[in-house]
Amino acid sequence: MKTRILTLLAVAGVVALACGSSSNQGATGSTIVLGAPLGLTGSLTKESALTKQGYDLWLDWINKQGGINVNGTKHPVTIKYYDDTSNANQSAVLMQKLITEDKANFLLGPYGSASTATDAAIAEQNQIPMVEANGAAQSIFNQGYKYTFGVLSPANKYLQGVLDMAATLNPKPTTIAMLSADDNFSLEVAQGIIDYAPTKGMQVVLYKKYKNGATALTAEVQAAKAANPDILLNSGHLAEAIAINKAAKEQKLNAKIFAYSVGPSTPDFITSLGKDADYVYDGSQWTPQVKYTADFYLSVADYVAAYKAKYPSEGAPDYHVAESTAACLALQRAIENAKSLDPKKVRDALAALDVTTFYGKIKFDSRGINVYKPMVVEQIQNGQHHTVFPADVADKQAMYPTPGWDQR
Amino acid sequence: MAAFAQLVIIGLLAGGIYAAVGVGFGLVWGVLNIVNLAHGALVIIGAYLTWQMFAVWGVDPFLTLPIDAIALFVLGYAVQRGVINRIIRAPLLFTFLLTFGLNLIAVNVLLLIFKSDFRSVTTAYSGAGLELGGLVIPYIRLAALGIALVMAAVLAILLSRTRVGLAIQAVGSDRDAAQLVGIDLRHAYAVTFGLGAAVAGVAGGMIAMIQAITPTAGEPYTLQAFVVVILGGLGRVSATVVGGLVFGLVEAFGQSIPGSGSVFANAIAFGVMVLILVTRPQGLMGRLR
Repeated sequence: MKTRILTLLAVAGVVALACGSSSNQGATGSTIVLGAPLGLTGSLTKESALTKQGYDLWLDWINKQGGINVNGTKHPVTIKYYDDTSNANQSAVLMQKLITEDKANFLLGPYGSASTATDAAIAEQNQIPMVEANGAAQSIFNQGYKYTFGVLSPANKYLQGVLDMAATLNPKPTTIAMLSADDNFSLEVAQGIIDYAPTKGMQVVLYKKYKNGATALTAEVQAAKAANPDILLNSGHLAEAIAINKAAKEQKLNAKIFAYSVGPSTPDFITSLGKDADYVYDGSQWTPQVKYTADFYLSVADYVAAYKAKYPSEGAPDYHVAESTAACLALQRAIENAKSLDPKKVRDALAALDVTTFYGKIKFDSRGINVYKPMVVEQIQNGQHHTVFPADVADKQAMYPTPGWDQR
Repeated sequence: MAAFAQLVIIGLLAGGIYAAVGVGFGLVWGVLNIVNLAHGALVIIGAYLTWQMFAVWGVDPFLTLPIDAIALFVLGYAVQRGVINRIIRAPLLFTFLLTFGLNLIAVNVLLLIFKSDFRSVTTAYSGAGLELGGLVIPYIRLAALGIALVMAAVLAILLSRTRVGLAIQAVGSDRDAAQLVGIDLRHAYAVTFGLGAAVAGVAGGMIAMIQAITPTAGEPYTLQAFVVVILGGLGRVSATVVGGLVFGLVEAFGQSIPGSGSVFANAIAFGVMVLILVTRPQGLMGRLR
């Protein structure tokens, strides 16, 4: 008897809530289902968790607004996640499942260039738009796909900002040792530097590739030390960045600039390395200090505050979180502009999108990648991330040159 | 010449860690005939114990190593006694399946407890080292090599000079005969697995000091342990140590082949393993059994 009363009460409560929201905000439409396979287990769990935070942050916000506004009707949103175990093939299988079984209206990207590449093929076959935020390899966008859109700056730009900054420093560094993991994304980052360095009057004196995921990198660092570079660049991932920084200290490789493509922007880099993380630069898609004026959603400061409120133990959001939220924003605005849930119309609206958000400009070239947003350069100073380049969004000056390991 | 000498140093220092990881794996394989796919997980459990004690209680990481050993011995003993003993006479495939499952469980429990954040033990003396005429020898890696060698020596003495060790060796050579002379098989098995786990735990503690760890970081070490044991030869602690040092050297030189980069370092290491299997199936130092 008691349970029946409770059930009745619960039903009444739900009805009341449903009526309340519809009377406040106009008609409620069907629920929009978004699908995303993420590496909730496996080697990419950390980055995938950050991606999920970015998606969920937007999801909370949009549902608080009542949903996405399509022609005056508000459609609530759910995101269906699956665990792809950090495996690109598994990611594609799950993407297909999201489309055929879960009837996902639109797709959000997985984490990483490898999974994004396999998922983009699925999106294309099914003609369902996928907006992704974590696959920057240009090889994804050179396939002629029409249904994949990436909100992030492409891989070849990741470390070019560091060279732009280095060219403004005094004394100007001129020699570069480039270490790179051998995955698609990292090789594109490295190639971006090989092509770009001569235009800045700099010379790549060493270019060495290592196995993706390697943790024993002392021999590489030793080779870099022998080349005595002004700038040590690494194009890889967090684990490799930590390994290289440790080895650089052990081998007493004293460069004027240490810059790593991925890794230093995450809090883990600082907690793992402590004071040894200081002075390290990275190319970042976004930092909490950037000064963009948002057309919609939240301002940069409000975004940081919203993140800290939802994830109090995590500190400030890093760029993986921000770009993932930005992917949701691009999709939201495209649906609104299309005034329809038709995949083809939303695709066309994505292709025509041109907005500025807290994350910067979102606009896609004909291949579907966002080449219009610059990368920013961060430096870790006294255990804190600071934006040091370009000057108009920077909050601190670069601490240059990096002192030798013995003088710290 | 200096570059060559430096590479030898880098290779030997890395080899010390590989030897430490391989010794426990080889012991379990040799005596129990179990290829323990959860070995890397045991290593990482040791790494997290050291990290936890260092980060939360400020204990010097080297002082945590004996605690790692004791904790992992208890864990290993319990796992063998409670779980693996049940299939010890089953075909090899079952032990593969079981230890693979144990690995999954261990990794995911670690993920639940520690999340997937990268962790590393960075002390005031991390990265400091001896400089001898342009050659660099990092203290932590040197100490790790020393500890690996001492640990292997202790294990070898334990196996050849003590009652428990002799019982383990007897079980390894003929379990039925060992049982006939009154050796408690289940206890001997569990002690063996416990010892293997204890050594893995110490190796893990040292790994936490020299690289960043995550719950999934152990898997490559299982594979490396496998290669190290085959390189050295199954059945002797000293052979595994040699295998580890050789593996470290091969890797260091593989990484520094001019022009190629180190993309092929793993391929070279495995190539050497295949070469050894073809030309000296008993391993560099192994005895034919």
